[in-house]
Order: sequence, then C-alpha cells, then structure tokens
Amino acid sequence: MSTARQREPAYRVDAERLELGGGLEVLLAAALERVAPGGVLEIRTPSRAVALELPGWALLAGHELIGETAEGGAHLLQIRRGAFARTLAGPLPERGEPPPLRGGELHTADWRGGELPPDPDCGAGFAPLHAVPESGAPRHHWRLSRRDAVWADDVGELVDQASAQQWDASRDVPWEAARELDDTTEKAVAQVMTFLAQNEYAALYVPARFLGQINPQLVELVLWLGSHVYDEARHIEVFTKRSLIGGQHGYALASTELSLHTLLDEHDFTASSLLLNVLGEGTFLDLLRFIELHAPDQATATAARLAHRDERRHVHFGISNIRRATLLDPELTSSLVAAAEARAAKLVSLSGLSPRLVEALTIMAAASLQPAELAEAAGDVRTLMATMERNRLRRLRACGFSAATAKHLSDLHTPNLM
Amino acid sequence: MSGGELTLGAVSYHPRVVTIWERFRTYFADAGVPTDYLLFSNYERLVGAVLDGTVDIGWNTNTAYVVLNHRAGGNTRILGMRDVDRDWATVLVMRKGEPIKSPAELDGRVLALGSRDSGHAAILPLHYLAAEGLDAEERCQLLRFDTDLGKHGDTGDSELHVVRAVAGGEADAGALSAAYFSAFRGEGVPEVADLEVVWRSPTYYHCNFTVLDSLERELSERWSRALLAMDFDDASLRPAMELEGVRRWYSGDRDGYASLTAAMQEQAMLA
Repeated sequence: MSTARQREPAYRVDAERLELGGGLEVLLAAALERVAPGGVLEIRTPSRAVALELPGWALLAGHELIGETAEGGAHLLQIRRGAFARTLAGPLPERGEPPPLRGGELHTADWRGGELPPDPDCGAGFAPLHAVPESGAPRHHWRLSRRDAVWADDVGELVDQASAQQWDASRDVPWEAARELDDTTEKAVAQVMTFLAQNEYAALYVPARFLGQINPQLVELVLWLGSHVYDEARHIEVFTKRSLIGGQHGYALASTELSLHTLLDEHDFTASSLLLNVLGEGTFLDLLRFIELHAPDQATATAARLAHRDERRHVHFGISNIRRATLLDPELTSSLVAAAEARAAKLVSLSGLSPRLVEALTIMAAASLQPAELAEAAGDVRTLMATMERNRLRRLRACGFSAATAKHLSDLHTPNLM
Repeated sequence: MSGGELTLGAVSYHPRVVTIWERFRTYFADAGVPTDYLLFSNYERLVGAVLDGTVDIGWNTNTAYVVLNHRAGGNTRILGMRDVDRDWATVLVMRKGEPIKSPAELDGRVLALGSRDSGHAAILPLHYLAAEGLDAEERCQLLRFDTDLGKHGDTGDSELHVVRAVAGGEADAGALSAAYFSAFRGEGVPEVADLEVVWRSPTYYHCNFTVLDSLERELSERWSRALLAMDFDDASLRPAMELEGVRRWYSGDRDGYASLTAAMQEQAMLA
C-alpha cells in the first residue's frame, strides 16, 4: 500500500463524524455509485479509528486502498472502485415519467404506462413492475405466461374496483336480524345458504389454482385473481355464517358436489373463464338478486347483496377475457364449446336443479307453508329460472358468441347453477 | 468415477466448502482441466497430503503454506490467490474512548489473541507488536482463544471470542484480522459497536494454492490460467465465488509471506 496520493480522485466525500457501522458504509456505497469501476474515491475523515478500519472495509467490499495521506489533522484515503458489477444487471434506467394521477388517486390501470409485452420474460421472476431483475436468480416456469392467453383489457380497472368495494362479513351484516325466523323458514334458509357456500368453495379453488401458474410480470392479472380468491373466501364465510346463525343445518348435496367437481377438471384458463365466471357466476348473479329480494330477514338480504356486487366484477372479467381471446383467435370458440360439452357429458345424471334446492328457495321466499304464499313463491322461482336463461344468453352474446352458439352453451349449462 | 487430471485438497472449515468446490469442480472440468477435490479436517493433514502426493494442489492458509514450503525445502510453486489474500492485515481493537497512540502502551495490560495457529490473529500480531517495541509474550497478559485448532483461524470463531473479550472488559485490547473485524461489523455482531481500531499492521498475504515443484509445469500453468479466468460477473459462478470470498483470482507470489515466515521462525513453529 502506498501512502502517497496515486491519482486525481473522480469523487470526494467528507465523512465528517460518520463511522463504519454508523452510516459511513451507506455514504460510501452511494459515493461509489458515482465512480466508474476502476475510478478513485477520496474519503476525508477526522477519525484515526475510521482511517484504520477503512482498508478492511474496502477489502471486503471488493475495492482497493491505494493511498493515504494526512491533511490538517484529517485523514485522506483513496479507494479504487472494484471492476466488478455490484449487481448482475445493466444500469438502472434514468428517472422516468411517473404514472399519472386521477384527482390524486393512482389507479392500477394507469401504472404501467404502456403496453404489456405479449410474451413477458419468465426469467424476471417476482421482479415488480419496471424493476430491473438481476441475472443469476433461479428460473421459474410459469404455465400461464403469454398475455393473450389470459388477459382482459380492463383488468386494471377491475383490480381498483375490487379494492374499493371490500367489505367485512363479521361487521357489515346485521346478524341480529337473522335470529327471529320460524323453524321451517330458517331450515329453508339454511339449505339455500349451504348450497351457496358449497358453490363458493369451487369459485375460490378455480382461480386459486390458476393464480400460482401466472407469470408475475402479468401483475394486474395476479392482483385480479388475488382479489377474486379473497372475494370468494368472504362469500364462503358470509353464507356459512348465515347458515350457522339460525341454528339449523342444510345438506351439502352430492349432485352439487358432482357439478363443482367438473369445474375443477377444467385446466384451460379461458375455458374456466367461460364455465366459472360467465356461466356459473353469471347465473349466480340472478340467484343472489332473487335471494336479496325475497329474503325473509335483513341478514340474508345483506349477505346476498354484498356477494352480488363482487360477482358482477367476476362476470365482467370473464366476458372481457373471452371477448378478447375469441376476437384474437376466432377458432377458440370451438374449443370453448367443446369444454362446455365435455363438462355436460360428465353431468348426464343431472336433469336439472336439485328438488331440495328448488323447495328451499320456494319456502324461503314464501316464509311459510301456507298454500297461497307457496303458490306465489313458486311462481317467483319459475320466473327466476326464466330470468337466468335470458341473462345467460345475453352474457354469452356479450362474449361475442353467435346467437346459435350462445343458445347451445346456455342449454349445456342448465343443470348447473355454478 | 475418475478423479480427473488433478486433485486438490482443501480444509472443510465450514459446510459451504462443499458448495464451493462442487461448483469449481464443474468449472475446471468445463475449462479443460478436470480437477477433483479432497477435503481434510485440518491443515496439518492437508500439508502432509501435498507432501506425500495424495493431492496435487493444496488450498492453504498462509500458515499452512509456510510450513509446507519449509518442509519441501522451498521447492513449491504458488498457482494463485484471491484478491483479498494480497492485502490481508491485522488490527488491534479496544473499547471506544480508550485509544492508545502506540501498541507499546499495552505494556502490562491484557491482550486477547485468536487461535495459536492463526497467522492473522496470533502469530503475526506477536511478530508485528515486537517490531513496534512491545514484546507482548513477556510484557502483556495474553488471553488466548485456541478454538478450532487445525483450521488456522478460517472459521473466525476465535476472533469472535477476541471481540467479545475486549467489549466485555476481560481484555484491554484484542488482535484479529481487519477482514474479520469488518465482516463482524457488517453482520451486526453487537459487541463490535463498542470497539474501535487503534492500530493496523502492514499488509501480508493470506491463502494460496500451493503445489510441489515436481508437478508438471505445463499442467499447473493450465490450471492457473483457468483459475484466473473465473469471472465474478458470470451469474453461474458468482454465488460460489462469494462463498469463497473472492472477486478476482491473481497468480500470486511469495513476497507477502516473508513476515509470517520470520514470525514462525521466531516462535519456533518451523521445527
């Protein structure tokens, strides 16, 4: 080690009273960022102890002490920056234009500031949006990585809506209101709630399974599926709680389980969008609206209303996703129809909705076993079925399917609600 | 499975040694100089293995190198060393606010040292302090931490004891390598915050790859070239190189071993 000054430093820093272990490392690292590899940084310190310790720090940090002099009671040390890259990546981009605000709000739809690449890099791992990934990290294999296989144009807006519309199943439902029903009505409510909760498990497991397969570079979709999964978790919670609060029990029917089992058999993302989001959750929209309107108590009505608000987003995503996918690849329609046919083929033993469910819906709506009230409620349930059919066709047309294809798909779905 | 053209011996001072040499073994095979490795529990066995031909190359501490070179009658060659090995130094640390201007002021006080076979934490401190006018063996009360003997200070354990002894007041000053002191500081070892460096030795060399002169020169030069070609900016090599504490390999020479050789002679360690 020479004790003479070796060359003119590229950058100087005055450590003042800073010590190693007390922030000096941070100052040195920031200063060295301004020095090219091989360039010289000069450090001034009044502390003899710091001057004695700095060479050891430089050695471990990959730099080299090349000179040391005293000047007016202070120590001047020259350190040559190591020639290696500290992080195995190119330089960080220049400070760029930040995303725009809307009335002070930073929306997910606005944060990317450009088009999502069609085939984002799998090697970027969990690098957040616009971060620079370091090379040498272990490589993931994401099954769902191509944008056009999974995307929806308004997914950013949907993510923001999902965050804005969160609610609390413990506090936002007037649970006291559910305690006063007679045994018969409460038993019917318990059966309907059991059916709903059972279905919501499948609505959670399907997006949850896809979530772990998505390339994180499709971050809006990751956030979206995360919100979908959380919504369904809360739906399971709220309908289970509504069943429990009345003290009655319902059957988790095997026919329902069979229908849901076939939903989990589908491994294609877009086909799942059709079967779950558009057909299943779409049909649930009408069912939840019916329950809200005909609920015998405010707790049930509130639970149905809150869940309905979430399901609307899920249906919107499904329609948007399928419309985009079939526009890009018109031949996709036939494989989507085939997926619906394959599911229906596994459900030949189902001839329609379970009588137990139809009876429970009717009694719940009548809130009694009086013939006149039952007759009116039975009429309402028949109207519900017709509404479901009509709205299902409307949603399928919104996906871009022809009238004939929409009718075929709707008929295939009829035995199921979800 | 065949061992390859060359066999290298290293000491397993930490489980990471396996990770390092498994990666380097692949590297040397790809570089056209297949090199297998054998691990030893201590440097005395490694030195013996180089001398009896069990291994061709010893990845030696400075202490092990000096012994090997002595026992081989000076007939050794150095094939390479790490960047950090060229600028090793020993520091004396004391509790903050109790600094001394010169090591001679430690006369009559308690000095903590690391393992007695550690060049940087025991052997060289005594040598350099003598040069500063302090015969520490005579004039100081030595508090030695002889942990991990045979590893020549590679584990850092005895130096951690030194730091704690000084911070805790059992010793007035302690000797350890500048690199380990900085590493302890970087790792946030709490006792380090209470200490400051009061003296720093001249620099000397630390580890190197040593072979006997009898090893075919063309082969050892090919191995050296492959070693020096290791690139820290290669993402597949960086993790192993970081574990080994090297960013760049140098060919190395004997210049920086003179002080340790003298110290070991003074301390009758080269019988």
